[in-house]
Amino acid sequence: MHAKAESNKSRKNRKIDQDTALIEAINEGDHDLFAEIVKRYERPLYNFGLKMCGEQRDAEDIVQETFLNVFRYLKDFRFETKFKNWLYRIATSICIKKRRKSKFAPDHEFSLEDFIPRDPAAEADQLPKWAALPIDTVLSEELYNKLEEAILELPENYRLVLVLRDMEGFSTAETAQILNLTPANVKVRLHRARLFLREKLKGYYHEQ
Amino acid sequence: MSSESDHKHNAACLELFAKLSEYLDQELEADTCEKIEQHLKECPPCRNCLQTLKRTVELCKAMGTKPVPSELSRRLRSMLEQLR
Ligand SMILES: [Zn+2]
Repeated sequence: MHAKAESNKSRKNRKIDQDTALIEAINEGDHDLFAEIVKRYERPLYNFGLKMCGEQRDAEDIVQETFLNVFRYLKDFRFETKFKNWLYRIATSICIKKRRKSKFAPDHEFSLEDFIPRDPAAEADQLPKWAALPIDTVLSEELYNKLEEAILELPENYRLVLVLRDMEGFSTAETAQILNLTPANVKVRLHRARLFLREKLKGYYHEQ
Repeated sequence: MSSESDHKHNAACLELFAKLSEYLDQELEADTCEKIEQHLKECPPCRNCLQTLKRTVELCKAMGTKPVPSELSRRLRSMLEQLR
């Protein structure tokens, strides 16, 4: 293919989003704008790190290492995905590396059978309060902590999918791309992760 | 599951159980959705199962974010200084 045709093609496949102009300006030499990337993404990345590791200090390291990698490799970014997806791909691989070194739960595969209600009759009772009342009434600080704990109990490969899909708001296709998984695999893991949390919430309310 | 006394899982309930998330995320074909909705009308346990799963997802989404600690802001500022 001729160079010109090639560059037209890649231009056509470029993903344009709210960060494109910013990234282009940086790659054209305006390095002061790195600060703007930090401003846009420090909070989302910090919270992503926190949900993945549960430790403030580790989350802080993840943010810093992610930005360092972004600044190092940004000139090679070709707009083949949204910048945000590329950013989370970097953050994800840093999380995984970090967790390998830590004491956390080993990877574990769930099967759907693990979550099939053992007593369907119990499910037939009235809808439990935590699912029936308005969400603001239900989400207390205590529940928040319980949920945070339950998310950290998820094996990492499930937690990553849950956090990216249900907390960071990535689509199935984007999550698949960030994690190098098939969309079908993302769906399976997400469903099992949600079922795991549902069981934890049921247990929590049962104890009360 | 429609009979509550002898609660054997029937095949329709199990089939639905596997698809609840895709149903919530509107990732299923129209005819599959219709089948599911028909089953939900007739099956209270599956209905509750869907509702509690839906609420689980809503709670995750409602958790929100914490502010960046000032220590981290300081580290990031000094990192940006070094890049200049
Ligand atoms: Zn059913």
